[in-house]
Amino acid sequence: MNLVPQIFAGLTTGSFFAVIGVMLTLMAQLTRVVNFSQVAFAMFGGFVGMWLETGRNHLPVWLGAIIAIIITAVLSAVVGWIIATWLPNAQMAARSAVTVSSLLILVATGAVLFGASHNNYKPLLPSIPIMIPLGNGTDLVITYNMIALILLALVVVIVMQLVLKKTMFGVRLRAISDRQNAAELLGVNVKMLNVGIWAVSGAIMSIAVSFLPSTVSNDYVSFSLLIIPGAAAALVGAFKNMWLALVGGLVIGVLQNIIASNPNPTIAGLKDWVVFILILVFLLWNQRKEVWDVAR
Amino acid sequence: MSPANQTVNAGVATSSRSSQSFVHKSWAPIAMGIIAAVVGVALLYIPWVGSDFSYTRVSQILIMMTLLMGLGIVTGTAGMIALCQMTFAAASAWIIEYLEVHMGPTAFGEASFFIYMIAGAVAATIIGVLVGLPAIRLRGVNLAVVTLSLAFAMDLTIVYFGFPANKANIQITRPFGIGGSTSKEDMMAVTILIIAIVAIVSVALVYLQRSRWGSSWKMVAFSERGTASSGTSVQVAKLTAFAVSAFVGGIAGGLYELVYIQARPESFGPYASIVLYVLATLVGSYLIDMALFGGILSVVIPFILTKLKLPMFWGDIFFGVASIQGLTTGSNLGEDIRRGLRKGKRAQQAEAVAEAVAAESHKEIASVPIPQGTGKPLLVVENLTVAFGAVKANSDVNLVVKEGTIFGLIGPNGAGKSTFIDAISGFLPHHTGEVTLDGLKLDKLSPSRIARNGLRRTYQQDRVPSTLSVGAYLKFIARGKASHSEIDEILDFFGCPTYYTPLSVVDVGTRRLIEVAAGVASKPKLLMLDEPAAGLDHEQHIAFGERLRQVPTKYGVTLLIIEHDLDLVRSVTTELTVLNFGEVLASGSQEEVLSNKEVLKAYMGETEMM
Amino acid sequence: MSLVLNDVTVSRGVGPVISNVSLEIKPGEIVTLVGPNGAGKTSLIESIAGVLIPSAGSITMDDVNITKFSKRKRARSGLAVVEQGRMIFPSLTVKENLQLTARTKADMDEALALFPELEKRLNNLSVLLSGGEQQMVVLARAFAAKPKYLLLDEMSLGLAPVVFMRLLPIIEGIAKSGVGVLLVEQFAHLALKIAQDSIVVTSGHVSYQGDPKVLLNDAELLRQKYMG
Repeated sequence: MNLVPQIFAGLTTGSFFAVIGVMLTLMAQLTRVVNFSQVAFAMFGGFVGMWLETGRNHLPVWLGAIIAIIITAVLSAVVGWIIATWLPNAQMAARSAVTVSSLLILVATGAVLFGASHNNYKPLLPSIPIMIPLGNGTDLVITYNMIALILLALVVVIVMQLVLKKTMFGVRLRAISDRQNAAELLGVNVKMLNVGIWAVSGAIMSIAVSFLPSTVSNDYVSFSLLIIPGAAAALVGAFKNMWLALVGGLVIGVLQNIIASNPNPTIAGLKDWVVFILILVFLLWNQRKEVWDVAR
Repeated sequence: MSPANQTVNAGVATSSRSSQSFVHKSWAPIAMGIIAAVVGVALLYIPWVGSDFSYTRVSQILIMMTLLMGLGIVTGTAGMIALCQMTFAAASAWIIEYLEVHMGPTAFGEASFFIYMIAGAVAATIIGVLVGLPAIRLRGVNLAVVTLSLAFAMDLTIVYFGFPANKANIQITRPFGIGGSTSKEDMMAVTILIIAIVAIVSVALVYLQRSRWGSSWKMVAFSERGTASSGTSVQVAKLTAFAVSAFVGGIAGGLYELVYIQARPESFGPYASIVLYVLATLVGSYLIDMALFGGILSVVIPFILTKLKLPMFWGDIFFGVASIQGLTTGSNLGEDIRRGLRKGKRAQQAEAVAEAVAAESHKEIASVPIPQGTGKPLLVVENLTVAFGAVKANSDVNLVVKEGTIFGLIGPNGAGKSTFIDAISGFLPHHTGEVTLDGLKLDKLSPSRIARNGLRRTYQQDRVPSTLSVGAYLKFIARGKASHSEIDEILDFFGCPTYYTPLSVVDVGTRRLIEVAAGVASKPKLLMLDEPAAGLDHEQHIAFGERLRQVPTKYGVTLLIIEHDLDLVRSVTTELTVLNFGEVLASGSQEEVLSNKEVLKAYMGETEMM
Repeated sequence: MSLVLNDVTVSRGVGPVISNVSLEIKPGEIVTLVGPNGAGKTSLIESIAGVLIPSAGSITMDDVNITKFSKRKRARSGLAVVEQGRMIFPSLTVKENLQLTARTKADMDEALALFPELEKRLNNLSVLLSGGEQQMVVLARAFAAKPKYLLLDEMSLGLAPVVFMRLLPIIEGIAKSGVGVLLVEQFAHLALKIAQDSIVVTSGHVSYQGDPKVLLNDAELLRQKYMG
């Protein structure tokens, strides 16, 4: 069996997981939150944009996409602001718990507005296939969307690392991540920086969603739960290393696709366990040694 | 200040302690459970409640309540995020149907359904333990990620493969000859049965919360280090919480089968688990009454919404918004309601306890000389070195603590005293050198193993969870080394509040005293006290010193004490070691060390003061 | 023009940690606050810095009431704090640590002029420095913010006395440049020597307030006030 088409098909979903993983890592490092509603924000914005593009509204595609990005960034910033205002010194778990609630709110709101489980997803930006003949009569199908997603993940990692290392803005972000309280005492505006990171991560996720082809998933709720493979990708880098998160996302996507294409239905049905098993394996690996929390 | 000058006032007055009245009835939960079940059944006879459709609704409320109670153990009592409660119910329902299909409805006679239900709950527990084992080691949000991905994978798998009963086209046979229809008679019988089961589960959970396990869950939510140094493995505490939660979730799956006879995959998706988590944090579902309230909310709100012809999702949006409100204020409905009800009472109780403690701690008590010990080396530390990167917090520390004495460890702030205790008690496994206690090498042991082998410690910061009572805390820390009456005696000896006093009405200063009392109650070979007297005034210091001097002979516990107040050090210790910049500056008998010029210089700065 | 604490009480949890402190820090002067462990010194500093809000009393800076200001707003109004325990940012280099507060190149150079030994360490990660050097980074960082008032909490903690003694003239120099300094120390002698005003706290109360020379000349009085 030739795995090449499967691998390339898996890279599309994988690159989306990679973007999620990279953004989760970034947020965990800089704002001490594992944002469970990361994808849900972008899906909400995406569905609004999609609704504006279709039906009676028929806005131009690019305008719908821009509105989607703005909505996502604002929603994300609101939740970031809530956490930064009321839980500034809370533990990561307590801060992240808020995002479970916001995930529920977004999914439920989306279900009210767009229907819970209708297969009504249309990609915000159309996917244009590129056919590459494989020589044996079949074509290898690559879409621009997939290339765009992988590029997006790469650009985010590279740009973020440059920003963190080379700019004053990045120095402040790292200072917050090291010692939030000390940074505040120096006059660093921790709250606004936090909210800014939330807004930017929302916008980037929204861009990623607009490139997403409808083959990845097809309804609002299961789209929002793509946070799970994304979190698995982030776990590959232990929520610390963006490069590993990127690789992790791609690997998960490819593995899922290879297993799903297995002719044996029982094996193919287990594709959804890939993520779970990978998460367990990485947790076991990361936690080889007993580590004691400084604070507790 | 020689001990001989102290006024002798032997015989501790117990009469003054009766003013604190915290009563305890061990049978109260059973009575409450029976009353609640009877009231519940009686309610079914009210015509409006008793319509055949409402029976289903009451059952739904109780199923939700059971799910919430189980989840409450993990999210509320033990303080973790778990997002797969519905998965446990689904796994249990799947097993029940599988057994029903393959073994038939009467393999075990009348008891068949119940046996299947227990089997289902056990299967859920096994899944919980298997998932929990790797995930539970971790702190923070990892458990949330793992459980959510489990919920997701399990849901898709169940959708893909289907439930056994549906595939075999059979239905679950209800026990006690209850018919398999949704008629009034059948549903009434089912509902009464569910009321009985939920009452039993609730009462069992109340007792479990009061047990060792329950105490360990509350401890671990408050402080992992505190849990480990009490001899309880943090992993075991978290795992038992997760396992019990899974078991109760499994029972809920059984109740679901009882009502619906055939399970549908869409009832158990990850979305439902997320709703449950949010609801559990919103109401505070580790409290039984609040779990019931959460169950009522989850059924009544969608009911009202359907009446208003609104989408049911509005209810979930409401739960989400309300829970964010709760999370940001660090509270939940249950706690808010309880606080409101007890507002005045709490303050009064706190005041009464504080007064009683103040009176006790100033009281002069029997004076004994500084204990001289047996001379046998108990704790031997050789070349202990702890490095954090390039900085050595302890370097080549050597010391010997002799059995039956009080040993002092002093030194200026930042000299590495607390690091020393952390290393000895197992929290810094990368240290080098050798530590033996009574001949047993401790270096490779975990903190909980070290504690169980007779080396205990207290902390500078509060490690006493306010969710326990004083007695429950001591009982938990003592690990069976002290009976109820012994605990009473020790509390009395240290002038602590009485056994059933909730720690929530005890101030932080007194909690530190309770921590010392608990350490003594655990009867370790060696108890290390990290600044136990900080926050006490001068007279309290003296009284505390008197009490400490009695500990080695009275309770057979050798003490190592870190202390800044040199008066206290002088009045209790025989031997001292002075640390400075992580190194031993001086070591020897108390008089010798305290008259050493170098020590005074390091300890007091470069002045001659004190 | 001064930083004034007016009858300030700070509470934590159940009760007050330190009560009824009134003091004035004038530009160009050093006020030394000494007291044993657990006297409430750090809580007092935190209430001035804005980490804790006083439960009673008021704090004014150059006649502006800053009692309810956020940490950041206080910092922007000219207050700098050196917390206990050498709060460097470990993942930042020495230079980046200073960049956080230095608004101009001149500010940075001026701060570095105080600590010439940091010059060759500029591009090293601050976490790799020795304890003394880290304390210098923290001090330089506070000075680079060009504060009007500087709070120093237990700088001597974990530092060898020689190192601490090297820092004291620098603090004097900072004060001479017109900064009002509050120097909080557990170990009294050296800190009192460079002060114009002093205050002793024990178990949450002020036990002495006034001329530091009186304390320095009367060891018995210092001991008595110190022990409460």
